[in-house]
Amino acid sequence: MSFDPKKAKHVGRLRFEGAWTTSVAFLDDGRKVAAANREGQIYIWRLPEEFVAEQGDKKSDEPPFGPSPVRRLDGHTNGVTQLIAAPDGKTLISSSLDHTVRIWDTSLAVEAKAEAVLDAESREREAAKARNDEPLNRPGVQVELQTECDVLEAHSDWVRALNISADGRRLISGGDDRLTVVWDLAARKEVARWQGHPLTWVVSAALSPDGEKAFVAEFSDSRGSFDRPPAQARIFDATSGSELVDLLKVQFPNVKVRDNSYGYGTTWIKFVGRGFVASEFSPDGKLLAVAQGGETGSGKVHLIDAANGKLVRTFADHQSGALDVRFSSDGEYVLSTGRDTTVQIHQASDGKEVARLGKGRGGQFKDWLHAVALSPDEQWLAAADISGLVELWRFES
Amino acid sequence: MKLFCSRREHLGRRAFLKGALATATGGLVANWGALRSTSLLADEAKKTGKRCILLWMNGGASQFETFDMKVGRKTGGPFRPISTNLAGVQICELLPKISQMMDRLTVIRSMRTSQIDHPGGIHLMHTGYSEAANVRFPEFGAVIAKYLGREQSSLPNFVKISSNGNAGAGFLGPKYHPFNLDQDGDLPAFSTSNLDPKIEQRRNDLRNFLEDSYAKDHQAETAKMHREAYEAARRLQSARQVFDIDKEWSEAAPLYGDSKFGRRCLLARKLIEAGVPFVEVGQSGYDTHADNFTGHKGLVPCMDHAWAGLLTDLEQRGLLDDTLVVWMGEIGRTPRINNRSGRDHYVRAWSTALAGGGIKGGVVYGETDADGADVKDNPVTEGDFFATIYQSLGIDPLTEHYAGSRPIPVAPFGSKVVTEAIA
Repeated sequence: MSFDPKKAKHVGRLRFEGAWTTSVAFLDDGRKVAAANREGQIYIWRLPEEFVAEQGDKKSDEPPFGPSPVRRLDGHTNGVTQLIAAPDGKTLISSSLDHTVRIWDTSLAVEAKAEAVLDAESREREAAKARNDEPLNRPGVQVELQTECDVLEAHSDWVRALNISADGRRLISGGDDRLTVVWDLAARKEVARWQGHPLTWVVSAALSPDGEKAFVAEFSDSRGSFDRPPAQARIFDATSGSELVDLLKVQFPNVKVRDNSYGYGTTWIKFVGRGFVASEFSPDGKLLAVAQGGETGSGKVHLIDAANGKLVRTFADHQSGALDVRFSSDGEYVLSTGRDTTVQIHQASDGKEVARLGKGRGGQFKDWLHAVALSPDEQWLAAADISGLVELWRFES
Repeated sequence: MKLFCSRREHLGRRAFLKGALATATGGLVANWGALRSTSLLADEAKKTGKRCILLWMNGGASQFETFDMKVGRKTGGPFRPISTNLAGVQICELLPKISQMMDRLTVIRSMRTSQIDHPGGIHLMHTGYSEAANVRFPEFGAVIAKYLGREQSSLPNFVKISSNGNAGAGFLGPKYHPFNLDQDGDLPAFSTSNLDPKIEQRRNDLRNFLEDSYAKDHQAETAKMHREAYEAARRLQSARQVFDIDKEWSEAAPLYGDSKFGRRCLLARKLIEAGVPFVEVGQSGYDTHADNFTGHKGLVPCMDHAWAGLLTDLEQRGLLDDTLVVWMGEIGRTPRINNRSGRDHYVRAWSTALAGGGIKGGVVYGETDADGADVKDNPVTEGDFFATIYQSLGIDPLTEHYAGSRPIPVAPFGSKVVTEAIA
């Protein structure tokens, strides 16, 4: 089935109340969704064939809630920043503020069970309305309980950047410790590692489809009004760690780089925003999509020529900053999301917007859509809504 | 807690007459804070040899991301606590160096103040008073300059480096107004004469002649102030080298950390060592309504490094016992994390810290509730905080100035010294 972004229908949502939902990924050919939050919890849901409104759902214009999760993945001790599904559809990889990257084989049968309550805030509202504690004392749902297969412990600070090569061979992680690590996923071993600018953090990273090139974006918040380390956006040889292209040097060939420079910052900030917080190579490896993040006026997505670092085109408009960016499997479309609570889909070939899912901030969703994922069969799209939800769209063929 | 507002006899007849410069319409005119026993009080205070450095966290640093963590609560945020060199006391992981100097600090976790916006908070936490239409309250730097400063010093008695106080010397008059340095600690352009020294001297002689002639026929306080300002600027020429830290920086950078705030702290130490009684050092950017956590992650570690370096440097030079180091901003930040990943303004329960001269180390004073929403015990108001600062510097918090006929103590009436913090 072909991916037709114009035929997206908001079919349902999954409850994940309690903390910000930060990341989302499809497993098992799109039949399952994994999502994680800022408390470090990861849950897996089995998607129904059809979302059916529960009895008592009053707001008919809102999509129905889906089923409860089937599995919880226990291990992280602080917020999860990224969830990545490997091409095998079974392996899930997560990065976290707890300084680790964890690898989970979600196909493993597990016997352990746990009780989970993912509607705590709804219960609190219900209890307050009814003026009794009965809703708070209801049992939760039973979920399978799983721990990770492996923990990758190379970082000594928050791991905010995580990505995988399309062939599933290599993994890349980057942290606030300024360290970038390229991993052999099967062997769980480091292929290369390098340090970035001494005052910045690695905020996003991407691998080319063959895993041979790595893009790394660095940024750091201000150390004072006039003390701002310069952002970095570079493409490296993923095996040797040697720098291939510096996007900022290509974009601003005449700007003299200084270690601490407000003046320089005012130049590059128009291009970088508050850091390229999301990045991905196109399926053919020729283009690189980078998204302007942080609280900036309007988060744009730049398409970059991966060979020479030149800007190809700019599109998207995420008010207050973008948060995630993905290519469709044929490379024709770029999906992005942000603090404006929309998912925007643009044609890579000309930057034309072909679909905008959700209404802008203050509209349909409460808050940011923190991450977006497209199912392998490209029939489902999931977005992590920080208000404690996973939003699901289906592309009707 | 010591309640110090108990005197009845503080308004003497002479002082009353001296202060009563009321106009016929009832308005007050500035008399530069004429006060009872000024010189005696100042002389006594000067004998203490105390000085003060204010580390000003402009915008309002978050107590949750510094000294009052609420891990595991919804208000907690993503940072983790670290142990300190005080048994049982933990602070935020963003302060690793200060965590090992907690035995030199009094941390107050129970600040409860009255101004929630920036201008009001900046005024309040520089003066101890809310802004008023008819009184121009002086910043505590000006008060300290008055009581601990040297009259004919080559250096200013009140220096600000990239900082934000908005009240200045207030009714104490221009003599105690802050001398402002920019974000790099560079001297302002007016402080550099590009004239030949001989020509400069002739100009100065001419100005003195004209001012002396004018003063014979006029009793103008402002003319005197004008002359004093010129004299102070001329004296500064001979002490310019104190402001130059370039030669020392490479050696000092590891101690203070390679940041502009670190450089400012080194300059503050040099100025204090050279006899300046009050230096304020600012770090901006704490108004993190959005991206509070990455914001603090950018700001706090370099501040931690510089602050710890400053305390260490002062200690190694034998200056810490006489130098009060105050750490604060104008407000705290909300327990609730908003939907921009930020924290907003909050003054119901927040944190400050004191170290050095006159302060007992190893004290964590006050406590907030489980979510950090309110003070659980020992609330400290802005007045209490300033009373404690003045007390530690040997300045009686009851010391009064007069704005017209109105007696105004340096710390507001009813303020209490946090005696647990005083060495």
